[in-house]
Amino acid sequence: MDRKNTYARNLDWSLIFIVIAIIIMGIINLYSAAYNEDRPFLLNLKTLYGKQIMWFGFACFAGFVISLIDARYIRKLTIPIYLFTVTLLVAVLFTTPINGARSWLGFGSFGIQPSEFAKLGMAMMLSYQISGIKSKVINIKTVTSIIAVLLVTMALILAQNDTGTFLVFTAFLFVMYREGITFDPYVLLLTNNILGLRLKHTWVGVHFIPVLFVVVFFSVIALIFADSDQSFTLGSFVLNIPGWAYVLIVLFVGALIALLLVNRLATTRNKKRLSLIIIIGYISFSTLNGLIAIGYLKVFQSHQRTRIDLVLGKINSEEEKDGKDYNRNRGMAAVGSGGLLGNGYRNAHLASPESGHVPESETDFIFCVFAEEWGFVGSFIVVVLFTLLLIKIVTIAERQRSTYSRVYAYSVAMIIFYHFAINIGMNLGVAPVIGIPLPFFSYGGSSMISFTVMIFILLKLDAQRKEVLF
Amino acid sequence: MNLEARRLVFYGLFVAIGLIYSMRLFYMQVVDDKWKERAAEVSQKKLEVKPPRGIIFDRNHKKVVSNQTFYNLMFIENNIEDLDTHAFAQLLNVPDSFIPYRFNEIRRKLDRRTRSKITGNDTVVNDYRGYSSYAFLTQLTQAEIARIAPRLGRFKGFYEQSISMRNYPYPNGGNIFGYLNEIRYKELKADPVFYNQGDYVGRTGLENYYEKELRGQKGVHYIIRSARGGIVETYAGGALDTAAEQGPPLTLGLDIDLQAYGEKLMTNKKGCIVAIEPSSGEILSLVSAPSYDPNMMVGSRKIKENYRKLVNDSLKPLFARPLQAEYPPGSIFKLVQALVGLQEGVITENTGFPCNKAMVGCHNHPNAQNIQDAVKMSCNPYFYYEVKRIIQQGKDKSIFKDAAQGLDLWEKYMNSFGLGIKLGTDIYGIRSGVIPNRAFYNRWYGEYRWAFSTIRSNSIGQGEVKVTPLQMANLAAIIANRGYYYTPHFVKSIGKDGPKEEYLVKHNTMVEHQHFAPVIEGMRRVVEEAGGTARSAFIDGIPLAGKTGTAQNPHGKDHSVFIAFAPIDNPKIAIAVFVENAGFGGTWAAPIASLMVEKYLRGEITNERKEARILEANLLE
Repeated sequence: MDRKNTYARNLDWSLIFIVIAIIIMGIINLYSAAYNEDRPFLLNLKTLYGKQIMWFGFACFAGFVISLIDARYIRKLTIPIYLFTVTLLVAVLFTTPINGARSWLGFGSFGIQPSEFAKLGMAMMLSYQISGIKSKVINIKTVTSIIAVLLVTMALILAQNDTGTFLVFTAFLFVMYREGITFDPYVLLLTNNILGLRLKHTWVGVHFIPVLFVVVFFSVIALIFADSDQSFTLGSFVLNIPGWAYVLIVLFVGALIALLLVNRLATTRNKKRLSLIIIIGYISFSTLNGLIAIGYLKVFQSHQRTRIDLVLGKINSEEEKDGKDYNRNRGMAAVGSGGLLGNGYRNAHLASPESGHVPESETDFIFCVFAEEWGFVGSFIVVVLFTLLLIKIVTIAERQRSTYSRVYAYSVAMIIFYHFAINIGMNLGVAPVIGIPLPFFSYGGSSMISFTVMIFILLKLDAQRKEVLF
Repeated sequence: MNLEARRLVFYGLFVAIGLIYSMRLFYMQVVDDKWKERAAEVSQKKLEVKPPRGIIFDRNHKKVVSNQTFYNLMFIENNIEDLDTHAFAQLLNVPDSFIPYRFNEIRRKLDRRTRSKITGNDTVVNDYRGYSSYAFLTQLTQAEIARIAPRLGRFKGFYEQSISMRNYPYPNGGNIFGYLNEIRYKELKADPVFYNQGDYVGRTGLENYYEKELRGQKGVHYIIRSARGGIVETYAGGALDTAAEQGPPLTLGLDIDLQAYGEKLMTNKKGCIVAIEPSSGEILSLVSAPSYDPNMMVGSRKIKENYRKLVNDSLKPLFARPLQAEYPPGSIFKLVQALVGLQEGVITENTGFPCNKAMVGCHNHPNAQNIQDAVKMSCNPYFYYEVKRIIQQGKDKSIFKDAAQGLDLWEKYMNSFGLGIKLGTDIYGIRSGVIPNRAFYNRWYGEYRWAFSTIRSNSIGQGEVKVTPLQMANLAAIIANRGYYYTPHFVKSIGKDGPKEEYLVKHNTMVEHQHFAPVIEGMRRVVEEAGGTARSAFIDGIPLAGKTGTAQNPHGKDHSVFIAFAPIDNPKIAIAVFVENAGFGGTWAAPIASLMVEKYLRGEITNERKEARILEANLLE
């Protein structure tokens, strides 16, 4: 049997079809978003669209090289690749900052963004580590080594001041959850060794990651209340409670009600255990909540807090539409003005490069251009394509025999999901303005190459899924 | 533990976000109109296109007020790149320090005080925007921009913009045309629909009076605007646009050549000339001396430069004397008294009065045996006697009550001659003069505490009576018309329409037609016969009727006054000339009037010596 023929037959063509559809739409859209009157030729390398196609060409070449490598060696290349991306991350720290962030590593007239490649490196590294776990039971050492690698990489990203990519790295927590990397060893360390209990596992430890996201979600809600006084009117009596006190009271009352319910409904045997869970849960939840609120106030810079406050409605976006909310307001206006069928290709009034009402319309806000020109019909197709792509990748992940391939596929899915959800979310005004690209749409060599190569590796692993076992 | 089942969390997450975003997109793009409106607010702009102001022609269709293109040097700060201040200053021919100074000045001009809604404190906000365009230099001439424009390409962010401004082909008629100036806050508030900050509006003269006509109809142009304020394209292909319409041209009754000639004659003199076409009331010329070239007051740059100069000039060139100066009319007032006497029947054509110098001073002349000679010789005592008969008609036993009644009647007569009332001429700032009435003297002396003898000086145009030169000229027109006048006015047609309707209304005086003949005969003798007071006004071949006046001036030399009309039988021009501090009316005012009349009727001057004498005279020293 011809080797190449087999490879072609084993490729997942529906994934390829979806990705190519997205890439074509992306390039058509970039041509409009970055249209250069003096250089209308699509392949002109002095234009953004010409360059984007060139980056895609580079990525395809890389893809060709990847297709020549036996998938079983990819795992073995993980460490060097990861170390290479980490080296780039370290190197970029020694450059002079551009707009307050050290994200660009220049090679002559070219520049690359190491953080874009770090996602790929981290995805492979995580796959490598998880696939390397020998014992069935996850011990503290395993979790710690995985967490350590992730935290070190994230720390390097944070050192660049690249908050967007930093957030994207939390995508890997979801992957860890899927792989059953629990935080139970830490919780057990606390309960068994310090509190002297004899638990085999705790619910909080096992489901730590989803719990973390739920806590973050509630913290956000708490944040909305915590800043403003809550007032209650009882007849002529008006009670003003500071926001933070209100949040604490609600949590306390919630815990109290839960305890009462347990007392009445639970069996005597479970009563003690459930009460303990509620009390521990209440204390840790309140503490975490407070920590997140403090973190929000201390860690985020003021412009980042402003962006979050705008989405939370804590800042009146109507008043700030030409001020702090300029970008988001213009972006939303562009999206909203698209209507059902759009203004027509190359006919955006707000987001076109000639009008320039939407800043960053070739990169972070590129979805505005598409939404304004193609309307709901076009935007809906993009959302559907991305959703299909994500579902497809998870489906691919689940059919892998090798843990490495599965973890890798999940990582790719989650990275793309984060980019998709945050980028389009901020274009729709439901996510704060965080500067991360929309895969295959936003202009950018590093992200174009990184995402395409990610898909190529996935395709290669998947094509050889019957042979790759480890 | 079944980890594989956890894949459902992922499917759920992806589908949930996909659904939420799709719904959100549907809501934003299809259901909610808010963002479409916001987009229109951001990207569409209604550009108001203001047409050039209406043109003004004189009666012979000569352009007297037109428009000229000037240039502003504009900039958008965000587009400026690496400005070489030194080279730029050299290009503009200004010191280097001017460049940062000017940027700062433009920015400071846009400071605005507001009260904070939250704190209640006054704060200064600045409306300057880096993406908006501002004028770095304004009102550059064609020559100036021609020097700058070719090298402007080196200075990114700067560009030229043309603006239409007034241009006056003749250096005359400054006080008639008036000037434009930047709109004031109150004017802007009064008509915010038409005007914008920085617009020019008529400040004085016809520019002011006919502002609504001259400014035209503003047009609207909808565009797609870029974030930097530039025009991307026409909105909806211009389907919603309306064109700007220039204001209709105004045609004046003014004869610009006559106006120029009048101003020339009045060089080095203080005073005024007003000439009216009696049959229509059209003002042929309105000279205020000294005057100014209207081109001195075009655009804020020149206004800034010249306004102070003109205001501080001791000769007050900005003061429109023909409209605003109120002078005692002197002997020309006797004409009206004669007419009223005839109408009232207190005298007849052949009534004579002795020249009783004990009553009031007079020059040496034989006693006037009739009204014609009284006018010709301008006998002061004659008119004392005559006006006494008008005021003291003996209708009441008390001379005081009688005088009061007589003065009431007299006031009505005077008002019917356009005296003591504000004429409805199409220019602002007109004054009414003074015709003292019962209330006036009651205030001075108390009720029934005055009689004719108290107020007799008015008989000969002295005393309390005051008229404007425009009223004097109108008086000449009334006599020329034998009893009526049309309100003197400048504009005879607005576009294709005639003048304003009020200028077509004939105002009859209370003196009937037949009483004018003897007075006009007297005026003819003034000019043509030996012993007439204005022989110097004689024009060979043009029968002219006139009357001198010498208005006593307590502050200095008497004012020289002369009113006239010509030709006598078919009057084409009625004129009043007033020369301040020039002495006797026959010496200066009369020859000036005759030169104006001849210039108008004949187009040339036959008596060159007369002209030369006037032109050479300097009465300011």
